[in-house]
Amino acid sequence: MENMLNEDIRKQVREMFAEIDQPVEVLFFGTEDEASCQYCKETGQLLEEVTSLSDKLSLKQYDLEKDGAVASQYKVDAAPTFVLAGRDGDSVTDYAVRFKGIPAGHEFSTLVNALVIVSKRDSGLSDKTRQFLGELKKPVKLEVFATPT
Amino acid sequence: MLLAYRMAMESPLVEAEGVDAMEFGELSDKYGVSGVPHTAINLGANHVVGAAPEDMLVAEIKKALEN
Repeated sequence: MENMLNEDIRKQVREMFAEIDQPVEVLFFGTEDEASCQYCKETGQLLEEVTSLSDKLSLKQYDLEKDGAVASQYKVDAAPTFVLAGRDGDSVTDYAVRFKGIPAGHEFSTLVNALVIVSKRDSGLSDKTRQFLGELKKPVKLEVFATPT
Repeated sequence: MLLAYRMAMESPLVEAEGVDAMEFGELSDKYGVSGVPHTAINLGANHVVGAAPEDMLVAEIKKALEN
């Protein structure tokens, strides 16, 4: 398959990745069955191309069914889904940062920014918000719906 | 979406999932998503439609936890 990212975009992304601090591992869950996952192949390739633009980024590809145990460990229930996790040597830290779907268009820039945020290991939130989140007693699940355009 | 990701980075109790609404139409329909961004908190206990600044999302999470 041809490259999905052209040279201009690769250049822009490399510039943004100059800000990457610590290693980030992208865990991609796809499926071989194209009928049930129209964009799995493209999503996998896109993530391969993006993670190749910084030596602090790595990609692990899994199959939603065959690697069901890993998928449930990361609370992944559909394909394509990818997880952005912190990597420190051999240890991987799951921050529960995930995306379901192909990160195209507007969502592509979200992906690039999210990789930088995870690499910093710091939320960048206000003190007030940090305090609120620090005092949480119950789990909070946020599902944010978006579209490429 | 980045705000939700930042919250997940901050707290081990927060999970953040971005969802492509076109590709996951069934899930979008379940939550009645008609415009984006749309944030569903705790499986629909509360919703935020449109881009929410930090303080507003915190307030809506508080409401979801009270329900």
